[in-house]
Amino acid sequence: MLDDLVRNLRVAYARLWVRVKGGNREPEWLIFDMFLPIFTLSAYVYLYKMLGVGAEFAGFVVIGGTMLAFWTNVLWNMSAQFYWEKETGTLEAYLVAPISRMAILLGMALGGFVNTTLRAVAILTVGSLIFQVPIALNEPFTALLIFFLTIAALYSLGMLFASLFLLYGREAWHTASLLQEPVQFISGSFYPVRYLPTLLQLLASLVPLTFGLDGIRRTAISGEGIAQVWPHVIALIVFTLILLPLAKLALNFMENLGKKEGRLTLRWQ
Amino acid sequence: MAVNTVLRTVKQAVWLGWKVDTNWADPLVFAIYYMVRPLAGLLMAGFMFYVGSTVVDVFSGEHFAFLLIGNSFFIYIVQIVMSMSMLIHDDRAHYEVLKHIYLSPSSLTWYILGRALNGVVNASLSLLLTLGFGVLIFQGILGLPIPINWLGIDLPMLALTMLLGTLCFVSLGYVLSGINIMTSRVQFMLSEYVSSILYLFGGVIFTPELLPSWGQTISNALPVTYFLKSVRFSILHQTGGDFQTSLMLLSLTTLVTVGISVGVFRFAMHKARKDGLIDKKEEY
Repeated sequence: MLDDLVRNLRVAYARLWVRVKGGNREPEWLIFDMFLPIFTLSAYVYLYKMLGVGAEFAGFVVIGGTMLAFWTNVLWNMSAQFYWEKETGTLEAYLVAPISRMAILLGMALGGFVNTTLRAVAILTVGSLIFQVPIALNEPFTALLIFFLTIAALYSLGMLFASLFLLYGREAWHTASLLQEPVQFISGSFYPVRYLPTLLQLLASLVPLTFGLDGIRRTAISGEGIAQVWPHVIALIVFTLILLPLAKLALNFMENLGKKEGRLTLRWQ
Repeated sequence: MAVNTVLRTVKQAVWLGWKVDTNWADPLVFAIYYMVRPLAGLLMAGFMFYVGSTVVDVFSGEHFAFLLIGNSFFIYIVQIVMSMSMLIHDDRAHYEVLKHIYLSPSSLTWYILGRALNGVVNASLSLLLTLGFGVLIFQGILGLPIPINWLGIDLPMLALTMLLGTLCFVSLGYVLSGINIMTSRVQFMLSEYVSSILYLFGGVIFTPELLPSWGQTISNALPVTYFLKSVRFSILHQTGGDFQTSLMLLSLTTLVTVGISVGVFRFAMHKARKDGLIDKKEEY
């Protein structure tokens, strides 16, 4: 039992190390990833300027852009990772090794988190300075709590999606691609979600990013505290508690199905 | 190279591109896929406008039409550029067929053109669906007034603009393909990098006059700016600029882009042959 735990923790650490090393091996990636999102965010800020809305909307855009860096990471470096492993032939090695798949996914998640945090901090800092975002952070610990709960919920969702990539090729690839902009739109990445029509607000409540974004904005820009954002905290905890075991079940199911259908090592799908 | 060989290469490349893009799904799923992503992008920008207008309690239909047309046609640009940028990775590292195409009697340049034309077809389909559903949602469902007279569109002007624009963006795609032939390090993000710069400086969702003077200088050097101006002039008849001037500047910047693309792509092919990059498989 203890041996298993230690071994799987070492697996998670090893996968984290590869991810951090791999993600930062080219300095130009780091520079591009840190500063190029600012161009798109700037376009949104200029749109709000054209409309004559207050500076807090620039803050919404910057925080949205910062959190979207994590969403992109979850989609492409977490969910789609098994697709890459399959294409490069390392998936077989994972599957035959006496280790938990969840430990690999945990390592990927932690490594992805480290890499993305580097980029997200740059986006947040540069964006806040350029657009002079009005910060009203009265309860930093509440903001941090919501941030970490959002990350936990998002990466749990990523683990769930990862199971799809065990079996499918381009279908799963296109599904991940399909989730990029629609989730940005529906989760209110660049505007408060309360302005969306009711039906869309209901749909938005199915995405953990919606609660995370709204909670962080309220605590960091509107100056609210735990007394106002506790429903966000509860929602994010519930998401994680549901998604994580579901990811484990889905992973086992897809792996067994993949073995039966002989698709685990199938390339060029 | 004989004209027949060129035409056959282009035709086969279009067909291959179509199959690669579509054979993973039935036509309905494919159409939905090609519509949902760009439509979501349009809805996001549209809702930002809607929310901002609600906050200040002023809604300008003209500005909204500016954004709607700009964002929809920008997606057309992005899809062409993106499809061409990813092509080298797909064929060289993923499917490992680039070397075979290079060895065949046809030319890689014409093959890429064929694949680009397939991208143009897909982007056109996507543009029509996005624009149609965008208007349906914003005007039909949300009741926002969008002052576009669909029957009053100047079709010859629009067709000319699209022709020049397509030539320009396919050329830009060749530049990105050339870069991706020379290096695999930026293949996944290159088109995103380029499109984010064009999105800010190209006058896509706001007027470039809002940019600082150095930003306006960049904007004035980009063909995207003149492409979108000309498209808006054809559809909205906006009097903010003169169509002839806009079209002339689009032609000029397109010519420069074509020149750059020929230079970059030739250099890339020369370097690829010299350094053995045609079949170099890298997992970035």
